[in-house]
Amino acid sequence: MSRSAVELDFFRMEKESAGKPQPPKKLFDRRRSFRDIQSVISKMNPEILKSVIATGSVENGNLLASKPKNDDPFLSPALPLLSAPAFGNRVSGTSPLTIFYEGTVSVFDVSRNKAENILKLAAENVSKTVDSDLPLTRGKSLERFLQKRKER
Amino acid sequence: MEDGKANKTIGGMPDTVFELVIDFLHDERDRDAVSLVCRRWYEIDKTTRKHVTIALCYTTTPQSLWRRFQHLESLKLKGKPRAAMFNLIPEDWGGYVSPWVEEIARSFSCLNALHFRRMIVTDLDLELLAQSRGQVLQILKLDKCSGFSTDGLLHIGRSCKKLKTLFLEESSIIEKGGEWLHELALNNNVLETLNFYMTYLAKVRFQDLELIARNCRSLVSMKISECELLDLVGFFGTASVLEEFGGGSIGEQPERYSSESYCSLSFPPKLCSLGLTYMGRNEMPIVFPFASLLRRLDLLYAFLDMEDHCLLIHRCPNLEVLETRNVIGDRGLEVLAQCCKRLRRLRIERGEDEEGMEDEEGLVSHRGLIALAQGCLELEYIAVYVTDITNASLQYIGTYLKNLCDFRLVLLDRQETIADLPLDNGVRVLLQGCYKLKRFAFYLRQGALTDVGLSYVGQYSLNVRWMLLGSVGESDAGLLALSKGCPRLQKLEMRACCFSERALAIAALQLPSLRYLWVQGYRASETASDLLAMARPFWNIELIPARRVVSPNANGQDVIVDHPAHILAYYSLAGQRTDFPNTVLPLDAVALLNT
Repeated sequence: MSRSAVELDFFRMEKESAGKPQPPKKLFDRRRSFRDIQSVISKMNPEILKSVIATGSVENGNLLASKPKNDDPFLSPALPLLSAPAFGNRVSGTSPLTIFYEGTVSVFDVSRNKAENILKLAAENVSKTVDSDLPLTRGKSLERFLQKRKER
Repeated sequence: MEDGKANKTIGGMPDTVFELVIDFLHDERDRDAVSLVCRRWYEIDKTTRKHVTIALCYTTTPQSLWRRFQHLESLKLKGKPRAAMFNLIPEDWGGYVSPWVEEIARSFSCLNALHFRRMIVTDLDLELLAQSRGQVLQILKLDKCSGFSTDGLLHIGRSCKKLKTLFLEESSIIEKGGEWLHELALNNNVLETLNFYMTYLAKVRFQDLELIARNCRSLVSMKISECELLDLVGFFGTASVLEEFGGGSIGEQPERYSSESYCSLSFPPKLCSLGLTYMGRNEMPIVFPFASLLRRLDLLYAFLDMEDHCLLIHRCPNLEVLETRNVIGDRGLEVLAQCCKRLRRLRIERGEDEEGMEDEEGLVSHRGLIALAQGCLELEYIAVYVTDITNASLQYIGTYLKNLCDFRLVLLDRQETIADLPLDNGVRVLLQGCYKLKRFAFYLRQGALTDVGLSYVGQYSLNVRWMLLGSVGESDAGLLALSKGCPRLQKLEMRACCFSERALAIAALQLPSLRYLWVQGYRASETASDLLAMARPFWNIELIPARRVVSPNANGQDVIVDHPAHILAYYSLAGQRTDFPNTVLPLDAVALLNT
């Protein structure tokens, strides 16, 4: 099935990753809420998002962004591969927006307009640490106790 | 001024007098002040100082410690950042005791008490310690340590015949057998405190516990891992002067379980501190006969609901220390406020979030705090996880709890809307009122404390030495306002805030007493270069760059967990450490990478 897909390949990950061992994709998450989408996008470096969206456009075909100047592999986190069908499923109005990010795959069902809006919003988003990024963690003993209680 | 002969009799008082007087000074800060007066007093302090606490082991070296305090009798060392207790720090981060143990074995002949907290200890270290100091060691505390096995404890059990305290609570111990306890039982008859609570050692034989009780007639405190309580009848019968017991396990073996059998348990007559793991409503009555004697109660690992808490607390009018989960609820706190007028320390941990797992009403809010503030006026320490909060409740605390030295509040995210935000005014009144406050933790959410609120924290926390701030402030301005105050702040930990590296660096430079900074969750720059603004001599800066770690989630499934970057910065006279793992990056290296 031919589907026009817009691929924003940050830093040519496909080319690079061809040679490297892929991390196991253990997390597959199909979400629908806007909040979830926003939380995933908020983890991306907004500077990178901005630069890619500025240099490219959401149209048919692939879009390859150029590498940033400072690509110290240690300090730059791996970045997302964004893929949205340019012309979505006209019957239902929504189509999957797939975000590949560091070994995880997130799929959102959104309309094309929404997909564009999301990308624009992400670009404007101030890089604030979202609370969901840093969940409260419990002490080890307590965690273990609560785990054990479920088993009893 | 420094004339040797004249100093011997300044104002007619020989050195001996000063040496006797200085012996009455125990507070470390007083000793510190005395040692700065003149060289002579520095020397006297040097030869007479009995105890030293090194808050971070990398701030100095074992040799430096030896050069200054050769007659040291007691040493406490801390390693990993506090965040390690919440699984946020890589296991191999550092904090190795080996260099210290080697120096202790070589030089510190007077040392008889050792306390390692959040450090990495190996069996070899324990063997060396046992060989070199086994004859004199009285207190050994391996507190939340890791890296050793029961083989190491075997050496301790065999050689340390004068050991009065063996403390292993919450350490990660590789269990190879239970002989270590047997050796301890055979070789020791002066043990007063034995604690291997929350170590999950399973090969412990209750017969050895009985043997210890029989041989050690001064045994006062025993906290153990999960050992069926019914097997401890003999132990309780023999440990006649026991005052504190914690751990054990109730109902592990269903075939032996019947609540009646637990009712036949009789406890030592002086028991006043108790914590029974997995104690449920059916077993609670076994505590009733001596509940009025209880001064300390640990319900963290009990299976009690809110009603149970009310029933039990009602019977404990002499309670001074209570630890439990938030299932105690506001109603439980109200009962506490009514009945336990002597309460000094209260710790309320976060229980189960999942619906249906815990008592639905088991939540703590401003309602409980207000009751507590008015009822338990002796409170010195409060640590609490709340689901709802108001400014008024914080104001009540500031108004009534004048003895409060340590206040820690975490706002859970269970309730989406908190009506009375921001908490700026509440925290101001709290800090103004609780003038003895030395330790303060405030972990909130976005919008709960504005930049103005942070400025209040800076302005009014005059005595606070340690602070943990989570999700506070709106912008860098807030952090900068905070850092203009906090005159005594030595150790600052921050999590999930929105501050930039630049602001963090300026704050570190501005806070006059700051010697330790830990941050996770901040606006990172591409190259961490903004952080270099705080670079200065004797100030070590380390990064733990963002990691992805595979670990089991609540359901036991392996998931990938995001660990955002950490910054750790501290004063050190020892230079940059060299024993860091590949997950840790000293900032010098980063600077090099980018040139």
